Amino acid sequence: MTRIGAALASLAVFLAVWKAATLIGGYPEYVLPAPEVVGERAIRAIASGVLWEHGAVTLLEIVLGFAAGATTAVVTGIALGKSVLIERVLSPYIVAAQAVPVLALAPLLDIWFGGGLLARVVICALIVFFPIAIATMVGIRSTDPLLDEMLRSLGATTPQRTRLLEIPSALPVIFGGLRVGVTLAVVGAVVSEWAGAGTGLGVLINIANQGLFDTPLMFVALAALAIIGLVFYGLVVFVERRLVSQ
Amino acid sequence: MIPDDTTGNGLGVAIEAVDVRFATPSGALEALADCSLHVAAGSFTVIIGPNGCGKSTLLRLVAGLLEPGSGSVLVGGELPRAGDGRVGLAFQQPRLVPWRSTVDNVALPLDLAGTAVGERNDRARQALERVGLTAVAELRPRELSGGMAQRAALARALIGDPPVLLLDEPFSALDALTRETFDAELQRLWLEQRRTVIGVTHSVSEAVALADRVIVMTPRPGRVARVIEVDLPRPRPSEIAGSPRAAELEAEVRAALSEGRALELRPWAEQEGAA
Repeated sequence: MTRIGAALASLAVFLAVWKAATLIGGYPEYVLPAPEVVGERAIRAIASGVLWEHGAVTLLEIVLGFAAGATTAVVTGIALGKSVLIERVLSPYIVAAQAVPVLALAPLLDIWFGGGLLARVVICALIVFFPIAIATMVGIRSTDPLLDEMLRSLGATTPQRTRLLEIPSALPVIFGGLRVGVTLAVVGAVVSEWAGAGTGLGVLINIANQGLFDTPLMFVALAALAIIGLVFYGLVVFVERRLVSQ
Repeated sequence: MIPDDTTGNGLGVAIEAVDVRFATPSGALEALADCSLHVAAGSFTVIIGPNGCGKSTLLRLVAGLLEPGSGSVLVGGELPRAGDGRVGLAFQQPRLVPWRSTVDNVALPLDLAGTAVGERNDRARQALERVGLTAVAELRPRELSGGMAQRAALARALIGDPPVLLLDEPFSALDALTRETFDAELQRLWLEQRRTVIGVTHSVSEAVALADRVIVMTPRPGRVARVIEVDLPRPRPSEIAGSPRAAELEAEVRAALSEGRALELRPWAEQEGAA
């Protein structure tokens, strides 16, 4: 109860500061619209179906991109954590790929993967991949060597050690990576849309900002992205609480 | 001494001219050098020696966790292989898996072997009963006392009913009173089953109270300095530690320990840090 109270209080403070800024600054609506203007625009965007039309596409990209990126990242992270050879061979490419801005590569990736949903998902997955892979590798390596020796003394096979010891001990760290990754999935979806999509919240931002000069609508799209990020983050935390005991 | 023909459920262990070296940043470290030891099936052997003399290394050889650089190790005439079910190992620390309940920790060897659920649960329950942990079956390791955790670890080592039980100072972290209770329980468990037990300790009185034979090792690189037969009658009540014969044997073990140290011509302090 107090947690909900605290969240509502902080939301109220945020809106108050925002409102105060518009009052004191006296900015025109296309620079910084007041909260109630954005709220009113949101109601119209929901009613006309435009928010859902774009939001549904972005949601699908986030879910698929995160699922694909997180799955490959966890598998890769386990391999990196378990084999020094694999780490030596792969990690330079992984780090280099991470250092190259995906934003710059996105238009090319869009062409390579056909410009449709697949291209969106690939770009989103690429952005999600790195923090989760690294967290998984670090987590796998943090396995208690004493417990590992105990399992070996009981004749545990390598897959058994991975399943019964390494993954469970890495889980808290993996979830750290998943928390970062899920928020990056939102960014990844928008970046992928900017590479050439026709619908999506990222596209809506561009239309509102550069086409219609409808800054309140752009804020509506941004708020929708923020809420999607919060909800998915909350889902990851929820799953984490169920899986990571202690 | 237990003669070979009352071997019960044990297997003999033969360690022959074994060398073990570990690579360390400061060069090779010789843990065991030309170390030989024969342990009769069904006997209770306790190894004693200064820190770093390779006692734990010796147990790891028998458990199949380590291969000797040269020489041979045989358990029941065959090479030991970790998880072959012939050897149970209890470590110095309980090494319980923190996210498993007590009963799931004890049943871990059965889970690894893919034992059917019904049989697994029955045996885990029996194993917990045997060490008096039925009441805490569902608790997590962090909720157990040090003594309970070690009992659980012992139950885990014994659940597969291994013919050879290796004890790497599992009771060393317990207070003296709890430890005496444990020693008594251990003796009872051994008298019931007559498996081969090889234990490691730092305590001269514990060694004499438990063992048929006390093996005294030299400082690193470890080898057997002396074998002392303990002819105290069984079952041994804890008061036996005060008997004149026990005192004589303890004095003999202590003498052998200091002889071993003198042989090396190295100060005792140097051995201390290198466990």
